Amino acid sequence: MYVEFLGIPRERAGITEMHVEAETLGEVLGALSSRLPGLSELITADGLHPSIVANLNGDEFVTALDTPLAEHDRLLILSADAGG
Amino acid sequence: MPYGYHGCYLRIDVSTGRAERVPLSDDVLRQYLGGSGLGACLLLHEQGATEDPLSPHAPLIFAFSPLVGSPLTTSAKFAVVSRSPLTGRFNDSLASSGFAVAGKQAGCDAIVIVGKATALSVLVIDDGEVRIEPADDVAGESCPVTEEKLRARLGPSYRIASIGPAGERAVRYATISHDGRHAGRGGSGTVLGSKNIKAIAVRGTKRCEWAQPRELTQLSRDLSKRSFGPATAKYRELGTAANLLTFNRFGTLPTRNFQQGTFDEAANLSPEQLRVEYSKTRASCVACTIGCEHIYSVGQSNVRIEYENLFALGSLCGVSDHAAVLRASQRCDELGIDTISAGGTIAFAMECVERGLLDEPWLTFGSGDAVLRALDLIGRREGIGALLAEGSRRAAETIGQGSIAFAPQVKGLEIPGYEPRGLQTMALGFAVGARGADHNRSGAYDVDFSDQVDRRNATLDSVRFAIETEDKAALMDSLILCKFLRRVFDDFYTESAGMLCAVTGWEVTAGELHETARRIVSAKRQVNLLAGWTQAEDTLPERFLNTPLPNDPEASLTRERLDELVGEYHRQRGW
Repeated sequence: MYVEFLGIPRERAGITEMHVEAETLGEVLGALSSRLPGLSELITADGLHPSIVANLNGDEFVTALDTPLAEHDRLLILSADAGG
Repeated sequence: MPYGYHGCYLRIDVSTGRAERVPLSDDVLRQYLGGSGLGACLLLHEQGATEDPLSPHAPLIFAFSPLVGSPLTTSAKFAVVSRSPLTGRFNDSLASSGFAVAGKQAGCDAIVIVGKATALSVLVIDDGEVRIEPADDVAGESCPVTEEKLRARLGPSYRIASIGPAGERAVRYATISHDGRHAGRGGSGTVLGSKNIKAIAVRGTKRCEWAQPRELTQLSRDLSKRSFGPATAKYRELGTAANLLTFNRFGTLPTRNFQQGTFDEAANLSPEQLRVEYSKTRASCVACTIGCEHIYSVGQSNVRIEYENLFALGSLCGVSDHAAVLRASQRCDELGIDTISAGGTIAFAMECVERGLLDEPWLTFGSGDAVLRALDLIGRREGIGALLAEGSRRAAETIGQGSIAFAPQVKGLEIPGYEPRGLQTMALGFAVGARGADHNRSGAYDVDFSDQVDRRNATLDSVRFAIETEDKAALMDSLILCKFLRRVFDDFYTESAGMLCAVTGWEVTAGELHETARRIVSAKRQVNLLAGWTQAEDTLPERFLNTPLPNDPEASLTRERLDELVGEYHRQRGW
């Protein structure tokens, strides 16, 4: 599956997207925290900083670490504070 | 009189130059606080709800707050309150920086202006003493030039709030500007211009005392420290312009007068692209630690850019040329007009041309030159500009032929950069908002970008979130604190009670502030009721109802669903 970064997560990651082998949200976050040290303030294996949210395929926002993910899914990581 | 206040407002009749200090009771101050709340209360007291907004009798209120002048970050703000000449409904527009501090130091908690000067004038408030001076040397000037000239004339200790040429010519969405920040929406500048006041120059020496200075200092240090963290990173590092690509990805970036929710060339307008093309600096208001202002150098001048500029003058008009959008933003600042209403009205006109309802073949989607030309015509009220200066609703009423169905406004206020069909809690917030479609008075988009609701399928459960964000916004606008701080707080109401207690000495609780927020929202509604509001106004244009977004068929909002949500909103409000 792919992870897309938007806004501040994109700034910190230094990339717009990356491919990750993972079956749950928790596995994705673990992979991101180990592979992208720039995200360390925002993402850990235990979850997302409150200022960040995750969205599945532009549809639902997900928080539970055991959220199942499919190979074709795209996980969007963005600032929780969407407006302004 | 509580700490943090002067216990009075300065009432100035610019017809005569007469000024009087009118006492404000402790009860009023505690019940309405300041800013929008105090402004709503004074608007009712001064019977402004039933006056034509451009009548000499209509009051225009500058309201400060107990936190102004304190060390609390983002507290240097003021609210401008009146009945709007664009909507005919309640209007509160907020701006920042030194004018708030200086205005309060003039020795009052608010300034109420009535009457009409005999010629274009400058209202000078010198430590509470009032005089009216000619404005011949600044007539027709932009706000930055006006400020520069007046400070040269009066002295550098003055802080200036002014209108641009658009306000002088009664463009219905003219702004009041100070130090590059704008009380932007709803035509506050139009009201000031109707009083023949080009600018207000204020200075003062009367500082308020704080009830618990040591506690306040500690709270301020803690709040400042938290304001540097991840919760405000977006504003520091990218600015609100970060919204552009996010909204485009979610299909909620209003494009071509809300005909679509994605803009193929959005990346061209993104802050990531802008920083490649232009040099950029960052700035902050007085007493602010966030520093959200991103200023781009364009030739010899500088332009502050927010998301709303990029959307309204960019994707909404189909314009992908960043140079044109930056120039258009700058032109709005020079003329003194609201970018959202300007862009929305121009985009509406572009669609009218597209449909053959307007004979202005140059005014086409995608043309940056057309946007710039339209802005100039609006500012001069020439040609089609005279119609567009009235806003999209009045323009639609004049054009007829069913065009009101796609005029992007609620209650006459043009819709900001949030596609309602894809952000349906926000859609409800737009529909019920006291001043019209507004993303600052309803923060419901925050809920749409969370797991608490389905953003494409609002249910009755969504209503309480719309109410909660509206209440919170009303309280923030009355305390006054910047909404960019909102995610810094663990418990906003409890922490606000602590700050207010440290300033005023009141034994305030979170529960009391919840009640205060609801009271302020109700006061705004009271203004609207007196101004002729009916529930039929709490809706969205036909475009947004029963027509899904072409790029996202699931993003569909029916009239029946919206009416149900609005009805539930009124039921939960107890109205």
